[in-house]
Amino acid sequence: MAAGMDRQSQIVIEGVNHTYRPPRGRPVLALSDVSLQVQPREFLALLGPSGCGKSTLLYLVGGFLPIEAGRIAVKDKAVTAPGPDRGIVFQHFALFPWKTVRANVLYGLERQGMPRAERERRAQAFIDMVGLSGFEDSYPSQLSGGMKQRAAIARTLAFDPDILLMDEPFGALDAQTRALMQTELLNIWNRTPKTVIFVTHDVQEAVYLAQRIAVMSARPGRIKAVIENKVNHRDPGVTRSKEFVEKVDEIWNLVREEAIKAEAKKPSG
Amino acid sequence: MARVEDTTSLASAEAEVSRDAARRLDVIFRSGAGIFSILLLLVAWEAFARSGKVTAFMLPPFSAVAQRIYADAIGGELWVNLGVTMFRALTGFVIAAIGGVALGAMMSRNKFVRWFFDPIISVGFPMPKIAFLPIIILWLGVYDVSKISVVVVDAIFPVVTATLAGLAGVERALIWSGRNMGASERELMWQVALPAALPQILTGLQVALPIALILAIIAEMAMGGYGLGGAMMSASRFADSRGVFAGIVEIAIVGYVLIKAMALTRRRLLVWHEEASHH
Amino acid sequence: MQALLRAGLRYLPLVLLAAAWEAVARFNLVDTSALPPLSKVASAWIDLIRAGELIDNGKVSLYRGSLGLLLAIFGGGGLGLLMARWRLFDIFVNPLVELFYPLPKSALIPVTVLWLGFGDGSKILLIFLGCMIPVTIGAYNGARGSDHALVWSASSMGANRVRMMWDVIVPSALPELLNGIRTALALAFILLVSSELIVSQQGFGYLIGYLGSTGSYEGMYAVVLTVAFLGFAADRVYQLFIEWLLAWRE
Repeated sequence: MAAGMDRQSQIVIEGVNHTYRPPRGRPVLALSDVSLQVQPREFLALLGPSGCGKSTLLYLVGGFLPIEAGRIAVKDKAVTAPGPDRGIVFQHFALFPWKTVRANVLYGLERQGMPRAERERRAQAFIDMVGLSGFEDSYPSQLSGGMKQRAAIARTLAFDPDILLMDEPFGALDAQTRALMQTELLNIWNRTPKTVIFVTHDVQEAVYLAQRIAVMSARPGRIKAVIENKVNHRDPGVTRSKEFVEKVDEIWNLVREEAIKAEAKKPSG
Repeated sequence: MARVEDTTSLASAEAEVSRDAARRLDVIFRSGAGIFSILLLLVAWEAFARSGKVTAFMLPPFSAVAQRIYADAIGGELWVNLGVTMFRALTGFVIAAIGGVALGAMMSRNKFVRWFFDPIISVGFPMPKIAFLPIIILWLGVYDVSKISVVVVDAIFPVVTATLAGLAGVERALIWSGRNMGASERELMWQVALPAALPQILTGLQVALPIALILAIIAEMAMGGYGLGGAMMSASRFADSRGVFAGIVEIAIVGYVLIKAMALTRRRLLVWHEEASHH
Repeated sequence: MQALLRAGLRYLPLVLLAAAWEAVARFNLVDTSALPPLSKVASAWIDLIRAGELIDNGKVSLYRGSLGLLLAIFGGGGLGLLMARWRLFDIFVNPLVELFYPLPKSALIPVTVLWLGFGDGSKILLIFLGCMIPVTIGAYNGARGSDHALVWSASSMGANRVRMMWDVIVPSALPELLNGIRTALALAFILLVSSELIVSQQGFGYLIGYLGSTGSYEGMYAVVLTVAFLGFAADRVYQLFIEWLLAWRE
């Protein structure tokens, strides 16, 4: 990649290593020499077997973990800490359970010092957008999994991050809800396009949502391949199309060997 | 509160209703059985006391004890003693609560503070800290300050440990979400970590409150004067067995009321919690 | 070796506090009558041992505490198990346990004195009554939690009630029961020290009061620290015992 590309890319990840140091036990190399670039407003899937470090990479981009080796830059500025320019959505929602849906969505806006009327209006708009109208005053414990995730997405979108980091956001949902949420996410993304890094281990999900798919190897994770995905995301029947099936096949072949390797590395029992 | 599902089904709604009804019946039955047992106990007490197998000194009949409580209530002694004991116990409790949470929070944030207090807490916890009462009296005299101090010394431990455990158990994703949205470290502690740890902190407070009452009473017994404990000890010294039993009943009621009050407060404060929606 | 260093670092704050105590007292930063130097307390401790006072009173306290606690463990354990196994018994006794659970056990001090006077009997009765409740609750919860599948498979293999008790229920009830006993242990110390401080003619608590009233503060501090340390040590030893017991059972 020429240096010129650097300046266009929104996110530049270069030669990143990460070592996981458990309090007891030996350190483990989680990521090895990972390099990747993400374009503005592109939907990139980060795909790989469990344990390959894809979530770790996401957390590094988010600034939640310290970068020990290598470089991560967002819009040419090095990442040192979390910030509202990179919004994160977690698999287990991470909603503040003592706050209502509305209060959760308002939190980021309050931190930014937005005036009251504006933030209430904005919060309501995003709650409506994700389809939670009427549940503003519910607590997360009263919501189903799918609704919680919608609330989490509304909360993150509300403070208007340029970049959306999604860590297997639909992994904790049942299959039907997951399918619904995937379509919803696409709709939302089409309306308010942002750069998205979407971590998943589900090949179908990656092909359905993303324009580019970065396949990671088993631990220590590195980028095995980056595949363009030109299926027509706007086609409601896309999952039945020939291109979709072929793309899934292509990606799955890449992932399969890594998945087998990852399985072999798991401690037995 | 019923769970809201994306797709409600009639069957699950019906199941929910019958489960609620069963739960309510169970509560009624259990409190009914509770009241019944207490009544049975009181009847047994009265019968046994009157049976002649024990002297009225050893076990005054419940009716006599009840009369005594009534007389104390009318005469005002009950309220004075109750008020004094409650003042000492609750003041100590509040100080222990605030101090304990503050210390726990500081220990969780600062490694040095953590290192310094950790052995003090772990060694001090199982110690019968009441043994320090004579030392506290030596330093602080024979007034309320000493009594309240001994309450604080004992009640602060469960609060600190509960706060530490609660803060340590806060889901990492919650803290990260807070940081993501631009919260400062101070805001994170007050707006994210402490609320997230609240259930566990409240448990610590629920342990600390009865401890506060016990210690206040012991201190009063040891030091004399007013208060439920002091009154009971005088009664004992003057062989006033009705007074002693009256004291037991009064303290039992106070203890029960305090525990129930804490449980209710907990439910109110934790209305959002998982445990609430599963009642 | 490394473990030893780590333990040393962990307890270092206590050493620092002890050093600070000594310094503060020696340099007269506070009234030395209220805070004698730690070194003087240590020598007073040795004197009390030599004179036999500490040992004699200690023996009395330990006797009272152990007997009361043992009675509470067996009484409470038995009661809890009975309640868990016989539903009818449970229905009647459970509300009583719930009634006595929130009662501050220290409220029983005057009545035990009323009944049995100043001596050993009242202390033993006090500890027995007070400590029975946590043991009962521990035994009850532990036995209740006994894996139903275990119980049913044991009974299908022909185990009679008693056998079942020993082989299945007691082992799986053990952790909760042991926890209840741990609470009872701490409570026993509290009740013992309190009652001896308040009204006794023998024992650690009495000795503390006596030394305090005669102005022998170094001795008083020595006994206070001894009692506090014993409480701590008892808990630690008990924890080691539990670990050993649970490991042995595996």
